[in-house]
Amino acid sequence: MATAEASSNISKVQVRRYKPEEYAEHNYLNVAKGLWSWLTSVDHKRIGILYLVTTTFFFLVGGVMALLLRIELWTPAQTFVDANTYNQLFTLHGAIMIFLFLVPSVPAVLGNFILPIQVGAKDMALPRLNLFSYYLYAIGSLIAVYSILHGGIDTGWTFYTPYSSQTGGAVTSLVFGVFVVGFSSILTAVNIIATIHKLRAPGITWSKLSLFGWSLYATSIIIILATPVLAITLLLLTMERIFGIGIFDPALGGDPILFQHFFWFYSHPAVYIMIVPGFGIVSEIVSTFTRKVIFGYWAIAISSLAIAFIGFLVWGHHMFVSGQASLASMVFSFLSFLVGIPTGIKIFNWLATMHRGSISLRTPLLYILGFLFLFTIGGFTGIALATLALDVHVHDTYYVVAHFHFVMVGGMVMAFMGGLHYWWPKMFGRMYNQAVAKIGCLLIFLGFNLTFMPQFIMGIQGMPRRYFNYIDQFQGLHQISTIGAFVLGIGFIIAIANFIMAIYKGKKAGANPWGSRALEWQIPSPVPPHNFDHIPVIIHGPYDYHQPMADFQLGLATNGHAPAHGAEISAEKQETEE
Amino acid sequence: MSGHHSSSYKLLLSVAGALLALTVLTVVVHYMYIPEPYSIIIAVVIAVFKAALVALFFMNLYWDSRFNTMLFITAFVFLTLLVGITLLDVLSRDVPVPSF
Amino acid sequence: MANHSTTTPAHLLHHYVDSDQQFDAAKLGMWIFIVTETLMFGGLFGAYIVYRVLYPELFTLASEELDTIMGSINTVVLIGSSLTVALAIKSAQVNNKRNIIINLAITLALACVFMIIKYFEYTHKFELGIFPGVYYEYGGIDHPQAHIFFSIYYMMTGLHGIHITIGIGLMIWLLVKASKNEFHSGYYTPVEIVGLYWHLVDIIWIFLFPLFYLID
Ligand SMILES: [Cu+2]
Repeated sequence: MATAEASSNISKVQVRRYKPEEYAEHNYLNVAKGLWSWLTSVDHKRIGILYLVTTTFFFLVGGVMALLLRIELWTPAQTFVDANTYNQLFTLHGAIMIFLFLVPSVPAVLGNFILPIQVGAKDMALPRLNLFSYYLYAIGSLIAVYSILHGGIDTGWTFYTPYSSQTGGAVTSLVFGVFVVGFSSILTAVNIIATIHKLRAPGITWSKLSLFGWSLYATSIIIILATPVLAITLLLLTMERIFGIGIFDPALGGDPILFQHFFWFYSHPAVYIMIVPGFGIVSEIVSTFTRKVIFGYWAIAISSLAIAFIGFLVWGHHMFVSGQASLASMVFSFLSFLVGIPTGIKIFNWLATMHRGSISLRTPLLYILGFLFLFTIGGFTGIALATLALDVHVHDTYYVVAHFHFVMVGGMVMAFMGGLHYWWPKMFGRMYNQAVAKIGCLLIFLGFNLTFMPQFIMGIQGMPRRYFNYIDQFQGLHQISTIGAFVLGIGFIIAIANFIMAIYKGKKAGANPWGSRALEWQIPSPVPPHNFDHIPVIIHGPYDYHQPMADFQLGLATNGHAPAHGAEISAEKQETEE
Repeated sequence: MSGHHSSSYKLLLSVAGALLALTVLTVVVHYMYIPEPYSIIIAVVIAVFKAALVALFFMNLYWDSRFNTMLFITAFVFLTLLVGITLLDVLSRDVPVPSF
Repeated sequence: MANHSTTTPAHLLHHYVDSDQQFDAAKLGMWIFIVTETLMFGGLFGAYIVYRVLYPELFTLASEELDTIMGSINTVVLIGSSLTVALAIKSAQVNNKRNIIINLAITLALACVFMIIKYFEYTHKFELGIFPGVYYEYGGIDHPQAHIFFSIYYMMTGLHGIHITIGIGLMIWLLVKASKNEFHSGYYTPVEIVGLYWHLVDIIWIFLFPLFYLID
């Protein structure tokens, strides 16, 4: 109990600087061998890699389903699967991509791996909970796989009642799988918030927290507030199927629109759960590859929180044609426009950071440039969709499909790929082939535009989403879209193959191949088992590119004790080096 | 900021006593059959008061980091948003429960 | 390790500077989890409020079927168990290891009493034919949507009962640890965390009780 008083006394700590080694003999990859050591490790880095492998697997599964859908849409009538299989394919494509890939991807993979290092900690705050959350994810996704094999689901990923409470198939088990995965993401969020609050190393004040950290913080807040509502909604849906409790069933006196309210109270913020971590990656990469202090640090940090908050007020824009009261629709439409403000602030700050910077067009930055282009289109079409009268026209058409793929794939997946290319040398100590990586990036960008630009046009012309057949006039555009999907798929295969090749054949990457000022680049690659030998003392912020590189060495409190949590660090430095 | 707080036995027992007294009160009020809008208001106010006692003195929020209190309040704020905006729709619909 | 020149306690995980940091992190984690629990029950409270607004007379009629006495006893039982959990933490703080076990055991017993009373309430309703959802066959309530009230009732009290059951498991776990003398004034984090959980379960019941049993 005494430390509470003591911590305020330690306002100045003598800091000795030391230069970390380029290569550590022991790292988290070689510290223990065997599959069992991976499956039981509570090390945040290994858990991150477990998530990376699993989410990539589901990304590929969901991707294959998308390709099957696109092949089916090559001709206006049946091409090679029947209508019911088609319904199951688009349901599973959506459910797998959203719940098993997009939601866990950045927070659980890169967040787990990078965040503790960025805050100067040796692990996440609650390591056992972290491993438990991975197993919840694994169990939940196995249940989802089971549902695919035993009956399939044809409700669409939104599970709208009363159809979902009456249709056959494995809706109950898939819903249960999503329920379990939801708890996994809640526990990850608990861990992230606790880590940021309690484990920041001395010297990392809130104003020196990385913007990736800020974005994960905002994301975690959304997860803990929204996911439980999805959980209870899915539980009610399950009870609806088992007992017919009638809360969402109009035939039993219930209100189906209530389901939509509850569902979108989660699922609109879930869009931000998926995209906000991507914003964090963009901030890191833009600053590193333009060698500039990030422009508008606080504006970017706070706008993430603002998006998190406003995101909870707009869910009804998915329900404009559901029978919702027109007063509510008007309110939701207006509030939805507001989301554009903090998002716009971010875009402007990133552009301002790049302005007159010394830009080096490495692969991570190429992905981020793609992000900026595609996400801006996704954002603007989102504003169009929030407009009440326009939405009534394009509701449930390919316009909506194209919009959220621009945000989710063009935004989030591009940022995730950028982040992987950025941190891969840190994760595995090896550099991938630059030329191949750039070709992959280019194919993904081109393939993506080829796939989804035509869908905007089809949507405006009235092509409804989720339809098995279509009228002949759309065939040309559909075929362009299908070709684009294959280009996109080839791009991803090239990028993933390049990553795997890098682990085995890549050149050794030093501790800091990009010349970044951020903390994770000041320790060896691959990361040592406990990240830091000592709890470090941090003197400069992660974006202080106006300081010479030589200043970015870890500090170590010289009185032998790490300063108490929250102590202020004076920048008095002794020029001793180890 | 250290979260250890040790309450006296006297305090813990008197909080429990207050909770019991409020429980008796709310049941007594129930049997007085106060007309509709007021009875629910009284019952909920008593419940909020009881919950606050538990949160402040059993869960130690009174002495704890302010951030934990903020978290707990945030939960209720967002719950109010969920219920409030949903009611905005339900109450202003032409047909509250669509029937097929 | 440079950070710990003195001996490191057994419970301290390697990535924490000291016990206080570990305790605070665990407690913060639990509070965040309490937020999610609140919103999960909140969805059900939302459904309750919407249907009470839509069918006010239904709630007045159907609430007659609930036994106010049983509900009141259960409220008292839970308040008592909240007190004993708080006393268990207090005992740990003053290093009274025997009292930790006694208080946890009383909490466990009260939790079981709560579940037994719930069992009698449920079986009584099943005898009347008040089953959830489409299986509802009780004719005593003159309202076409009577089953909706009981659907919400079963959902809310059922989910609450599941939480009590989980709490019973946690109490047994704590008792095992306490009997191995693992808790003392320097380390009682699990008791504190489970205590927070248990108080939350109590708070939820504090709201369920008037909203279901005390409708005029
Ligand atoms: Cu939305």
